[in-house]
Amino acid sequence: MRGFQESTDGPTSVAIAELDNEERAVIARVVADVGLLLGGEPFGMHVDVADVDEDPLFRHLRGLESALTDPDDPAVLRVLPNAAPDDREVAQEFRRFTEPELRSLKVDRLRTIWRALNEDGPEWVIPAADAMATAAALTDIRLVLASRLGLETDDDATSLHAEIDRAHEATTGRYSADIVENPERVWLGMLYEALTWLQESLMSYVMRDDV
Amino acid sequence: MRPYPEGVSTQPLSAIDVDVTTRTDDVWVTLVWNDPVNLMSYVTHVFQSYFGWTRDEAERRMREVHELGKTVVSTGGRETMEVDVQAMHSYGLWATLTRSGQ
Repeated sequence: MRGFQESTDGPTSVAIAELDNEERAVIARVVADVGLLLGGEPFGMHVDVADVDEDPLFRHLRGLESALTDPDDPAVLRVLPNAAPDDREVAQEFRRFTEPELRSLKVDRLRTIWRALNEDGPEWVIPAADAMATAAALTDIRLVLASRLGLETDDDATSLHAEIDRAHEATTGRYSADIVENPERVWLGMLYEALTWLQESLMSYVMRDDV
Repeated sequence: MRPYPEGVSTQPLSAIDVDVTTRTDDVWVTLVWNDPVNLMSYVTHVFQSYFGWTRDEAERRMREVHELGKTVVSTGGRETMEVDVQAMHSYGLWATLTRSGQ
């Protein structure tokens, strides 16, 4: 994997990362999973995306079912948080009026990434105009993974990193321990850290001219 | 068009009406809270691009979130704060609104 770097495509600036086939497949899979979690259609399967795009009423209704109360899934609640924890009426009204639109926006951004990851070749090319939307989608994915990993504080994130290091040392035989305690958690943690690293490289590109 | 059927509301309509007439008098704030996921660079850029702050100011506010746990990013009427909170949520930042002074 190579992080995002600036490149010029004629007169326009683009950000390009390089992923091998397995990395692309893993990231595309988690992008699609988060899209489903937020009420989107299964990317690339069954549903003709063009039809969904052309039917705003359907999209609106889809988000509406769950727009009255906080989502039950804590990962979805991290992506669509309660806007007024100390005022139920304000929180409900905010959710009712904003959640369908936020869900649509977030699913649209994920779908764009999913399509880019399903193009041929090792390069992941992001036009300058799409860079922040991509960074925002990477944030949503990382929020979901962080919730699944139980990352609630900065210390939790530090512990996760140490846990992954220990697992890595165990598998490379630096210590005698040859059993990784929770391989699924370590795998998710590694995916989380890889996406963090990719997003960080994308932000260097986005902020290259910030003053 | 109302975005959803009246019967779905858990609030009596009269209560909503009263709220709409009084809300403009109140001062509200938008808070952004610390979380372990959002990158410092990303939060800085969101603050800079959305609120129009300089990079220095955006970084100072980002550090306040990171070190103190939260910061007030905007102050105004409830509807304006709702717009700001929605924008922050669109970026995956953990934002809330509350009446000023609470």
